[in-house]
Amino acid sequence: MGPQHPSTHGVLRLKLLLDGETVKNVEPVIGYLHRNAEKICELDYYCDSLIYFDRMDYVAAMNMEIGYLEAAEKLLAIEPPERVKWIRVVMAELNRLASHLVWAGAFGLDLGMLTPFFYFFEEREKILNLFTEICGSRQETNYMSIGGVYQDFNDKIIFKIKQFLKQFPKKMEEAYSLFIKNDIFISRTKGIGILEPEVALSYGVTGPMLRASGVPYDVRKDAPYLVYDKLNFDVPISRGKDVLARCIVRFEEMRQSVKILNQALDKIPDGPYFNPKAKKSLMIRLRGEGDVYARTESPKGEFGVHLVGDGTVKPYRLHVRSPAFKNLSILPYLSRDVLIADMVAISGSIDLVFGEVDR
Amino acid sequence: MPYEVKEEKGKDGRKVFLIQKENFLELMTDLRKQGYDHLSLITAVDFRDRIELVYHLQKSESNFELLTVRTVTYDSTIDSVSSIWESANWDEREQYDMMGVVFKGHPNLKRILLPEGWVGYPLRKDYDLSKNQYVNMDDEGNDRVSFDPGDGW
Repeated sequence: MGPQHPSTHGVLRLKLLLDGETVKNVEPVIGYLHRNAEKICELDYYCDSLIYFDRMDYVAAMNMEIGYLEAAEKLLAIEPPERVKWIRVVMAELNRLASHLVWAGAFGLDLGMLTPFFYFFEEREKILNLFTEICGSRQETNYMSIGGVYQDFNDKIIFKIKQFLKQFPKKMEEAYSLFIKNDIFISRTKGIGILEPEVALSYGVTGPMLRASGVPYDVRKDAPYLVYDKLNFDVPISRGKDVLARCIVRFEEMRQSVKILNQALDKIPDGPYFNPKAKKSLMIRLRGEGDVYARTESPKGEFGVHLVGDGTVKPYRLHVRSPAFKNLSILPYLSRDVLIADMVAISGSIDLVFGEVDR
Repeated sequence: MPYEVKEEKGKDGRKVFLIQKENFLELMTDLRKQGYDHLSLITAVDFRDRIELVYHLQKSESNFELLTVRTVTYDSTIDSVSSIWESANWDEREQYDMMGVVFKGHPNLKRILLPEGWVGYPLRKDYDLSKNQYVNMDDEGNDRVSFDPGDGW
Protein backbone atom coordinates (compact mmCIF):
# COMPACT_ATOMS: atom_id res chain seq x y z
CA MET A 1 0.00 0.00 0.00
CA GLY A 2 1.41 3.38 -0.94
CA PRO A 3 3.63 5.44 -1.25
CA GLN A 4 0.82 7.15 -3.16
CA HIS A 5 -2.48 6.03 -1.79
CA PRO A 6 -5.54 8.11 -0.86
CA SER A 7 -5.62 6.87 2.73
CA THR A 8 -1.95 7.22 3.62
CA HIS A 9 -2.06 11.01 4.01
CA GLY A 10 0.97 11.80 1.97
CA VAL A 11 3.78 9.43 1.29
CA LEU A 12 3.65 6.40 3.53
CA ARG A 13 4.35 2.96 2.18
CA LEU A 14 3.00 0.00 4.09
CA LYS A 15 4.31 -3.46 3.38
CA LEU A 16 1.41 -5.73 4.23
CA LEU A 17 1.43 -9.44 4.87
CA LEU A 18 -2.12 -10.59 4.24
CA ASP A 19 -4.19 -13.67 4.82
CA GLY A 20 -7.19 -12.97 2.63
CA GLU A 21 -8.56 -9.68 3.94
CA THR A 22 -6.83 -9.99 7.30
CA VAL A 23 -3.63 -8.13 7.99
CA LYS A 24 -1.00 -10.40 9.52
CA ASN A 25 1.91 -7.98 9.64
CA VAL A 26 2.59 -4.39 8.68
CA GLU A 27 5.93 -2.79 8.03
CA PRO A 28 5.80 0.98 7.53
CA VAL A 29 8.38 2.35 5.12
CA ILE A 30 8.97 6.04 5.74
CA GLY A 31 11.46 8.65 4.63
CA TYR A 32 9.96 9.69 1.31
CA LEU A 33 9.70 13.30 2.51
CA HIS A 34 13.02 13.30 4.32
CA ARG A 35 15.13 16.43 3.84
CA ASN A 36 17.18 16.30 7.04
CA ALA A 37 16.05 19.58 8.53
CA GLU A 38 18.28 18.89 11.52
CA LYS A 39 21.42 19.09 9.38
CA ILE A 40 20.19 22.20 7.59
CA CYS A 41 19.55 23.87 10.95
CA GLU A 42 23.11 23.10 12.04
CA LEU A 43 24.36 25.07 9.04
CA ASP A 44 22.11 28.09 9.73
CA TYR A 45 21.87 30.85 12.31
CA TYR A 46 19.58 30.29 15.28
CA CYS A 47 16.97 32.71 13.91
CA ASP A 48 16.92 31.14 10.43
CA SER A 49 15.99 27.64 11.57
CA LEU A 50 12.37 28.63 12.15
CA ILE A 51 11.24 28.22 8.55
CA TYR A 52 12.27 24.57 8.57
CA PHE A 53 10.06 24.01 11.57
CA ASP A 54 7.10 25.49 9.68
CA ARG A 55 7.57 22.76 7.14
CA MET A 56 7.69 19.92 9.64
CA ASP A 57 4.08 19.70 10.71
CA TYR A 58 2.77 21.87 7.92
CA VAL A 59 -0.80 21.93 9.19
CA ALA A 60 0.30 23.22 12.62
CA ALA A 61 3.19 25.53 11.83
CA MET A 62 2.62 27.78 14.86
CA ASN A 63 2.95 24.91 17.31
CA MET A 64 6.18 23.83 15.66
CA GLU A 65 7.60 27.36 15.88
CA ILE A 66 6.71 27.57 19.55
CA GLY A 67 8.40 24.22 20.15
CA TYR A 68 11.65 25.43 18.65
CA LEU A 69 11.48 28.84 20.32
CA GLU A 70 10.94 27.33 23.75
CA ALA A 71 14.29 25.56 23.35
CA ALA A 72 16.13 28.37 21.56
CA GLU A 73 15.05 31.06 24.00
CA LYS A 74 16.16 28.93 26.92
CA LEU A 75 19.55 28.32 25.33
CA LEU A 76 20.11 31.92 24.24
CA ALA A 77 18.72 33.29 27.53
CA ILE A 78 16.19 35.59 25.87
CA GLU A 79 12.87 36.04 27.60
CA PRO A 80 9.94 37.10 25.41
CA PRO A 81 7.77 39.96 26.75
CA GLU A 82 4.47 39.12 28.44
CA ARG A 83 2.35 40.28 25.51
CA VAL A 84 4.22 37.95 23.16
CA LYS A 85 3.49 34.95 25.36
CA TRP A 86 -0.25 35.61 25.20
CA ILE A 87 -0.15 36.20 21.46
CA ARG A 88 1.68 32.91 21.04
CA VAL A 89 -0.94 31.06 23.05
CA VAL A 90 -3.70 32.51 20.86
CA MET A 91 -1.90 31.51 17.67
CA ALA A 92 -1.07 28.04 19.01
CA GLU A 93 -4.67 27.31 19.93
CA LEU A 94 -6.01 28.65 16.63
CA ASN A 95 -3.59 26.39 14.84
CA ARG A 96 -4.54 23.45 17.04
CA LEU A 97 -8.13 23.97 15.90
CA ALA A 98 -7.00 24.11 12.28
CA SER A 99 -4.93 20.96 12.67
CA HIS A 100 -7.72 18.98 14.31
CA LEU A 101 -10.13 20.17 11.62
CA VAL A 102 -7.80 18.86 8.92
CA TRP A 103 -7.56 15.58 10.78
CA ALA A 104 -11.34 15.32 11.13
CA GLY A 105 -11.89 15.97 7.44
CA ALA A 106 -9.26 13.47 6.36
CA PHE A 107 -10.46 10.90 8.86
CA GLY A 108 -13.95 11.11 7.39
CA LEU A 109 -12.48 10.51 3.96
CA ASP A 110 -10.62 7.46 5.26
CA LEU A 111 -13.91 5.96 6.35
CA GLY A 112 -15.63 6.88 3.10
CA MET A 113 -17.54 9.93 4.32
CA LEU A 114 -17.14 12.85 1.96
CA THR A 115 -19.59 15.33 3.48
CA PRO A 116 -17.88 16.22 6.80
CA PHE A 117 -14.73 17.13 4.88
CA PHE A 118 -16.40 20.23 3.44
CA TYR A 119 -17.80 21.36 6.77
CA PHE A 120 -14.45 21.07 8.51
CA PHE A 121 -12.41 22.63 5.74
CA GLU A 122 -14.79 25.58 5.52
CA GLU A 123 -14.03 26.37 9.16
CA ARG A 124 -10.33 25.77 8.68
CA GLU A 125 -10.33 28.18 5.76
CA LYS A 126 -11.64 30.89 8.10
CA ILE A 127 -8.73 30.29 10.47
CA LEU A 128 -6.28 30.41 7.58
CA ASN A 129 -7.83 33.69 6.45
CA LEU A 130 -7.17 35.06 9.92
CA PHE A 131 -3.57 33.87 9.64
CA THR A 132 -3.25 35.58 6.26
CA GLU A 133 -4.37 38.81 7.83
CA ILE A 134 -2.02 38.50 10.82
CA CYS A 135 1.12 37.04 9.23
CA GLY A 136 0.61 37.36 5.49
CA SER A 137 0.68 33.65 4.86
CA ARG A 138 -1.73 30.78 5.15
CA GLN A 139 0.09 27.66 6.25
CA GLU A 140 3.85 28.10 6.51
CA THR A 141 3.43 31.28 8.47
CA ASN A 142 6.96 32.02 9.77
CA TYR A 143 5.20 34.37 12.18
CA MET A 144 7.34 34.12 15.28
CA SER A 145 10.92 35.09 15.89
CA ILE A 146 13.35 34.69 18.75
CA GLY A 147 12.12 36.86 21.59
CA GLY A 148 8.98 38.08 19.83
CA VAL A 149 6.61 37.95 16.90
CA TYR A 150 6.92 39.71 13.55
CA GLN A 151 3.61 41.59 13.59
CA ASP A 152 1.72 42.95 16.52
CA PHE A 153 -1.96 42.19 17.17
CA ASN A 154 -4.39 45.08 16.83
CA ASP A 155 -7.98 45.52 17.98
CA LYS A 156 -9.35 44.70 14.56
CA ILE A 157 -7.69 41.27 14.58
CA ILE A 158 -8.87 40.50 18.10
CA PHE A 159 -12.41 41.48 17.07
CA LYS A 160 -12.22 39.22 14.03
CA ILE A 161 -10.98 36.24 16.03
CA LYS A 162 -13.77 36.77 18.53
CA GLN A 163 -16.29 36.89 15.72
CA PHE A 164 -14.94 33.63 14.38
CA LEU A 165 -15.13 32.04 17.82
CA LYS A 166 -18.77 33.07 18.19
CA GLN A 167 -19.95 31.05 15.23
CA PHE A 168 -17.37 28.26 15.38
CA PRO A 169 -18.75 26.00 18.17
CA LYS A 170 -22.16 25.75 16.51
CA LYS A 171 -20.65 24.85 13.14
CA MET A 172 -18.32 22.34 14.75
CA GLU A 173 -21.08 20.59 16.69
CA GLU A 174 -23.14 20.40 13.51
CA ALA A 175 -20.31 18.65 11.70
CA TYR A 176 -19.51 16.54 14.76
CA SER A 177 -23.05 15.17 14.76
CA LEU A 178 -22.36 13.86 11.26
CA PHE A 179 -19.78 11.64 12.92
CA ILE A 180 -21.24 10.73 16.23
CA LYS A 181 -24.88 10.30 15.23
CA ASN A 182 -23.97 8.08 12.32
CA ASP A 183 -24.45 4.37 12.95
CA ILE A 184 -22.05 3.39 10.21
CA PHE A 185 -19.35 5.62 11.67
CA ILE A 186 -19.83 4.16 15.15
CA SER A 187 -19.68 0.58 13.94
CA ARG A 188 -16.57 1.34 11.88
CA THR A 189 -14.71 2.84 14.85
CA LYS A 190 -15.98 1.33 18.08
CA GLY A 191 -13.76 -1.39 19.50
CA ILE A 192 -11.24 -1.05 16.68
CA GLY A 193 -7.54 -0.59 17.48
CA ILE A 194 -7.67 -1.06 21.23
CA LEU A 195 -4.58 0.47 22.82
CA GLU A 196 -3.81 -0.29 26.46
CA PRO A 197 -2.16 2.57 28.43
CA GLU A 198 0.94 0.57 29.41
CA VAL A 199 1.59 -0.37 25.80
CA ALA A 200 1.02 3.20 24.66
CA LEU A 201 3.54 4.52 27.19
CA SER A 202 6.10 1.91 26.25
CA TYR A 203 5.83 2.83 22.57
CA GLY A 204 6.22 6.53 23.38
CA VAL A 205 2.75 7.44 22.16
CA THR A 206 1.62 10.91 23.27
CA GLY A 207 -1.06 13.45 22.56
CA PRO A 208 -4.72 12.63 21.89
CA MET A 209 -3.71 9.01 21.18
CA LEU A 210 -2.40 8.58 24.74
CA ARG A 211 -5.24 10.54 26.33
CA ALA A 212 -7.77 8.35 24.54
CA SER A 213 -6.15 5.42 26.37
CA GLY A 214 -6.84 7.07 29.71
CA VAL A 215 -3.49 8.68 30.56
CA PRO A 216 -3.99 12.40 31.24
CA TYR A 217 -0.64 13.58 29.90
CA ASP A 218 -0.71 17.06 28.46
CA VAL A 219 2.49 19.14 28.51
CA ARG A 220 0.36 22.28 28.84
CA LYS A 221 -0.78 20.99 32.23
CA ASP A 222 2.11 18.82 33.44
CA ALA A 223 5.00 21.13 32.55
CA PRO A 224 3.35 24.48 31.71
CA TYR A 225 5.13 26.72 29.23
CA LEU A 226 4.19 30.22 27.99
CA VAL A 227 1.18 31.26 30.11
CA TYR A 228 -0.78 28.01 30.16
CA ASP A 229 -0.59 27.94 33.96
CA LYS A 230 -2.72 31.12 34.08
CA LEU A 231 -5.46 29.66 31.92
CA ASN A 232 -8.36 27.55 32.99
CA PHE A 233 -8.92 24.45 30.87
CA ASP A 234 -9.37 20.71 31.23
CA VAL A 235 -7.45 17.82 29.75
CA PRO A 236 -10.01 15.50 28.16
CA ILE A 237 -9.36 11.78 28.50
CA SER A 238 -11.35 8.78 27.48
CA ARG A 239 -11.31 5.22 28.70
CA GLY A 240 -12.56 3.84 25.39
CA LYS A 241 -9.01 3.19 24.10
CA ASP A 242 -10.30 2.68 20.55
CA VAL A 243 -10.54 4.72 17.37
CA LEU A 244 -13.84 6.24 18.46
CA ALA A 245 -12.29 7.40 21.74
CA ARG A 246 -9.50 9.19 19.85
CA CYS A 247 -12.10 10.94 17.75
CA ILE A 248 -14.10 12.04 20.81
CA VAL A 249 -10.97 13.25 22.62
CA ARG A 250 -9.90 15.38 19.66
CA PHE A 251 -13.30 17.04 19.43
CA GLU A 252 -13.33 17.72 23.16
CA GLU A 253 -9.87 19.24 22.77
CA MET A 254 -11.26 21.62 20.18
CA ARG A 255 -13.88 22.75 22.68
CA GLN A 256 -11.14 23.30 25.26
CA SER A 257 -9.13 25.29 22.72
CA VAL A 258 -12.11 27.55 22.16
CA LYS A 259 -12.32 27.99 25.92
CA ILE A 260 -8.62 28.90 26.13
CA LEU A 261 -8.95 31.33 23.23
CA ASN A 262 -11.90 33.12 24.80
CA GLN A 263 -9.93 33.65 27.99
CA ALA A 264 -6.64 34.56 26.35
CA LEU A 265 -8.08 37.14 23.96
CA ASP A 266 -9.40 39.18 26.87
CA LYS A 267 -6.18 38.97 28.81
CA ILE A 268 -3.57 40.04 26.23
CA PRO A 269 -1.64 42.79 28.06
CA ASP A 270 -0.15 45.89 26.45
CA GLY A 271 3.55 46.12 25.85
CA PRO A 272 6.27 45.52 23.28
CA TYR A 273 5.91 42.69 20.79
CA PHE A 274 9.58 41.74 20.71
CA ASN A 275 12.50 41.67 23.07
CA PRO A 276 14.90 44.54 22.20
CA LYS A 277 17.84 42.20 22.86
CA ALA A 278 16.70 40.16 19.86
CA LYS A 279 15.73 42.82 17.36
CA LYS A 280 16.35 42.06 13.73
CA SER A 281 19.81 43.59 13.40
CA LEU A 282 21.13 41.77 16.47
CA MET A 283 19.46 38.45 15.85
CA ILE A 284 22.19 36.74 13.85
CA ARG A 285 24.76 37.49 16.56
CA LEU A 286 22.98 35.51 19.28
CA ARG A 287 25.23 32.87 20.81
CA GLY A 288 24.35 29.97 23.06
CA GLU A 289 26.24 27.36 25.01
CA GLY A 290 25.18 24.18 26.77
CA ASP A 291 22.21 21.99 26.00
CA VAL A 292 18.49 22.27 26.65
CA TYR A 293 15.46 20.11 26.10
CA ALA A 294 12.08 21.79 25.71
CA ARG A 295 8.78 20.01 25.28
CA THR A 296 5.53 21.51 24.11
CA GLU A 297 2.13 20.14 23.27
CA SER A 298 1.60 20.09 19.53
CA PRO A 299 -1.75 18.87 18.13
CA LYS A 300 -0.13 15.45 17.57
CA GLY A 301 1.48 15.06 20.98
CA GLU A 302 4.62 15.93 22.87
CA PHE A 303 6.88 17.92 20.57
CA GLY A 304 10.38 18.04 22.00
CA VAL A 305 13.45 19.90 20.82
CA HIS A 306 16.91 19.01 22.09
CA LEU A 307 19.29 21.81 21.29
CA VAL A 308 23.05 21.84 21.86
CA GLY A 309 25.07 25.02 21.45
CA ASP A 310 28.87 25.35 21.40
CA GLY A 311 29.15 29.11 21.86
CA THR A 312 28.97 30.04 18.19
CA VAL A 313 26.13 31.68 16.25
CA LYS A 314 24.91 28.33 14.91
CA PRO A 315 23.43 25.34 16.75
CA TYR A 316 25.84 22.45 17.25
CA ARG A 317 23.17 19.79 17.27
CA LEU A 318 19.43 19.93 17.04
CA HIS A 319 17.19 16.95 17.48
CA VAL A 320 13.44 16.93 17.17
CA ARG A 321 11.12 14.57 18.98
CA SER A 322 8.42 14.16 16.43
CA PRO A 323 5.17 12.94 18.01
CA ALA A 324 3.77 11.60 14.75
CA PHE A 325 6.93 9.52 14.23
CA LYS A 326 6.44 7.88 17.62
CA ASN A 327 2.71 7.45 17.15
CA LEU A 328 3.27 5.80 13.78
CA SER A 329 5.59 3.22 15.35
CA ILE A 330 2.59 1.64 17.06
CA LEU A 331 0.72 0.95 13.80
CA PRO A 332 2.27 -2.55 13.35
CA TYR A 333 1.17 -3.46 16.88
CA LEU A 334 -2.38 -2.17 16.45
CA SER A 335 -2.89 -3.67 13.01
CA ARG A 336 -2.21 -7.28 13.84
CA ASP A 337 -5.13 -9.49 12.80
CA VAL A 338 -7.50 -6.74 11.70
CA LEU A 339 -9.18 -6.20 8.35
CA ILE A 340 -7.51 -3.91 5.80
CA ALA A 341 -10.38 -1.42 6.08
CA ASP A 342 -9.96 -1.32 9.85
CA MET A 343 -6.24 -0.72 9.46
CA VAL A 344 -7.08 2.34 7.37
CA ALA A 345 -9.32 3.57 10.19
CA ILE A 346 -6.52 3.00 12.72
CA SER A 347 -3.89 4.79 10.66
CA GLY A 348 -6.37 7.63 10.16
CA SER A 349 -6.90 7.93 13.90
CA ILE A 350 -3.16 8.38 14.50
CA ASP A 351 -3.20 11.77 12.73
CA LEU A 352 -0.12 11.43 10.57
CA VAL A 353 1.60 14.35 8.90
CA PHE A 354 4.58 13.27 6.89
CA GLY A 355 6.47 16.49 6.97
CA GLU A 356 6.89 15.75 10.63
CA VAL A 357 7.46 12.00 10.53
CA ASP A 358 10.25 12.29 7.98
CA ARG A 359 11.56 15.75 8.88
CA MET B 1 24.08 0.39 43.86
CA PRO B 2 26.97 -1.50 42.27
CA TYR B 3 27.80 1.37 39.93
CA GLU B 4 28.50 5.07 40.21
CA VAL B 5 26.03 7.68 38.97
CA LYS B 6 26.97 11.34 38.85
CA GLU B 7 24.04 13.69 39.27
CA GLU B 8 23.94 17.28 38.10
CA LYS B 9 21.52 20.03 37.12
CA GLY B 10 21.00 20.82 33.44
CA LYS B 11 21.01 24.34 32.09
CA ASP B 12 17.21 24.50 32.19
CA GLY B 13 16.96 22.99 35.68
CA ARG B 14 16.26 19.38 34.77
CA LYS B 15 17.86 16.45 36.52
CA VAL B 16 20.76 14.84 34.65
CA PHE B 17 22.43 11.50 35.38
CA LEU B 18 25.91 10.81 34.04
CA ILE B 19 26.84 7.15 33.72
CA GLN B 20 29.74 5.07 32.46
CA LYS B 21 29.05 3.12 29.31
CA GLU B 22 29.76 -0.20 31.05
CA ASN B 23 27.02 0.26 33.64
CA PHE B 24 24.59 1.93 31.29
CA LEU B 25 22.20 -0.98 30.72
CA GLU B 26 22.07 -1.76 34.44
CA LEU B 27 21.08 1.80 35.28
CA MET B 28 18.37 1.88 32.59
CA THR B 29 16.91 -1.41 33.83
CA ASP B 30 16.81 -0.02 37.36
CA LEU B 31 15.20 3.22 36.23
CA ARG B 32 12.48 1.28 34.45
CA LYS B 33 11.83 -0.58 37.71
CA GLN B 34 11.65 2.77 39.53
CA GLY B 35 8.71 3.76 37.32
CA TYR B 36 10.25 5.59 34.37
CA ASP B 37 7.90 4.03 31.85
CA HIS B 38 8.10 6.58 29.04
CA LEU B 39 11.27 6.98 26.97
CA SER B 40 10.77 10.28 25.27
CA LEU B 41 13.79 10.73 23.05
CA ILE B 42 17.24 9.39 22.25
CA THR B 43 19.74 11.88 20.87
CA ALA B 44 23.28 11.23 19.73
CA VAL B 45 25.65 14.19 19.61
CA ASP B 46 28.84 13.91 17.60
CA PHE B 47 31.87 15.56 19.24
CA ARG B 48 34.29 14.23 16.58
CA ASP B 49 36.36 12.11 18.99
CA ARG B 50 33.39 10.71 20.89
CA ILE B 51 29.62 10.39 20.63
CA GLU B 52 27.44 11.45 23.50
CA LEU B 53 24.09 9.76 23.92
CA VAL B 54 21.29 11.59 25.68
CA TYR B 55 18.16 9.78 26.86
CA HIS B 56 15.10 11.68 28.07
CA LEU B 57 12.93 9.63 30.39
CA GLN B 58 9.59 10.40 31.98
CA LYS B 59 7.62 8.96 34.85
CA SER B 60 3.89 8.69 34.32
CA GLU B 61 3.11 8.49 38.06
CA SER B 62 4.59 11.87 38.93
CA ASN B 63 3.28 14.17 36.19
CA PHE B 64 5.76 13.02 33.58
CA GLU B 65 8.71 14.68 35.26
CA LEU B 66 11.80 14.68 33.12
CA LEU B 67 15.06 12.84 33.76
CA THR B 68 18.03 12.98 31.42
CA VAL B 69 20.61 10.20 31.25
CA ARG B 70 23.88 10.89 29.46
CA THR B 71 26.63 8.53 28.47
CA VAL B 72 29.64 8.72 26.21
CA THR B 73 30.95 6.19 23.72
CA TYR B 74 34.30 6.33 21.95
CA ASP B 75 33.77 3.44 19.54
CA SER B 76 30.19 4.29 18.40
CA THR B 77 28.62 1.30 20.11
CA ILE B 78 26.19 1.16 23.02
CA ASP B 79 23.82 -1.37 24.51
CA SER B 80 20.31 -1.26 23.10
CA VAL B 81 17.41 -0.45 25.43
CA SER B 82 14.74 -1.62 22.99
CA SER B 83 14.04 -4.62 25.23
CA ILE B 84 13.07 -2.20 28.05
CA TRP B 85 11.08 0.40 26.09
CA GLU B 86 9.43 -0.40 22.76
CA SER B 87 9.83 3.20 21.61
CA ALA B 88 13.61 2.78 21.62
CA ASN B 89 13.24 0.53 18.59
CA TRP B 90 12.56 3.32 16.09
CA ASP B 91 14.60 5.89 18.00
CA GLU B 92 17.71 3.75 17.88
CA ARG B 93 17.15 2.99 14.22
CA GLU B 94 16.98 6.72 13.57
CA GLN B 95 20.21 7.40 15.46
CA TYR B 96 21.91 4.53 13.63
CA ASP B 97 20.68 5.97 10.34
CA MET B 98 21.80 9.52 11.04
CA MET B 99 24.82 9.07 13.32
CA GLY B 100 26.08 5.55 12.75
CA VAL B 101 25.76 4.50 16.37
CA VAL B 102 25.55 0.71 16.60
CA PHE B 103 23.10 -0.43 19.26
CA LYS B 104 24.12 -3.86 20.47
CA GLY B 105 21.19 -6.22 20.88
CA HIS B 106 18.74 -4.30 18.71
CA PRO B 107 16.33 -6.70 16.97
CA ASN B 108 16.19 -4.95 13.60
CA LEU B 109 18.97 -2.41 13.22
CA LYS B 110 18.64 -0.96 9.73
CA ARG B 111 18.14 2.46 8.22
CA ILE B 112 14.74 4.03 8.73
CA LEU B 113 14.57 7.39 6.96
CA LEU B 114 17.25 6.94 4.33
CA PRO B 115 17.24 4.03 1.86
CA GLU B 116 19.48 1.02 2.46
CA GLY B 117 22.80 1.46 0.72
CA TRP B 118 23.23 5.14 1.51
CA VAL B 119 26.89 6.00 1.99
CA GLY B 120 27.84 7.78 5.22
CA TYR B 121 25.90 9.10 8.18
CA PRO B 122 24.50 12.57 7.43
CA LEU B 123 24.51 14.10 10.91
CA ARG B 124 28.17 13.25 11.57
CA LYS B 125 30.34 16.33 11.51
CA ASP B 126 32.67 14.77 8.95
CA TYR B 127 29.91 13.90 6.46
CA ASP B 128 30.76 15.11 2.96
CA LEU B 129 27.95 17.40 1.84
CA SER B 130 29.47 18.13 -1.56
CA LYS B 131 28.81 14.67 -3.00
CA ASN B 132 25.29 14.04 -4.28
CA GLN B 133 23.75 10.63 -3.93
CA TYR B 134 20.87 9.55 -6.14
CA VAL B 135 18.10 7.12 -5.35
CA ASN B 136 16.56 5.09 -8.13
CA MET B 137 14.34 2.06 -8.13
CA ASP B 138 15.24 -1.31 -9.56
CA ASP B 139 12.82 -3.71 -11.23
CA GLU B 140 11.70 -5.29 -7.93
CA GLY B 141 10.82 -1.90 -6.46
CA ASN B 142 13.79 -1.73 -4.12
CA ASP B 143 15.78 1.46 -3.65
CA ARG B 144 19.12 1.66 -5.40
CA VAL B 145 21.58 4.34 -4.28
CA SER B 146 24.46 5.52 -6.44
CA PHE B 147 26.70 8.53 -6.99
CA ASP B 148 25.83 8.41 -10.68
CA PRO B 149 22.81 10.56 -11.65
CA GLY B 150 21.79 7.97 -14.25
CA ASP B 151 18.63 8.29 -16.31
CA GLY B 152 15.95 10.72 -15.46
CA TRP B 153 18.01 13.17 -13.44
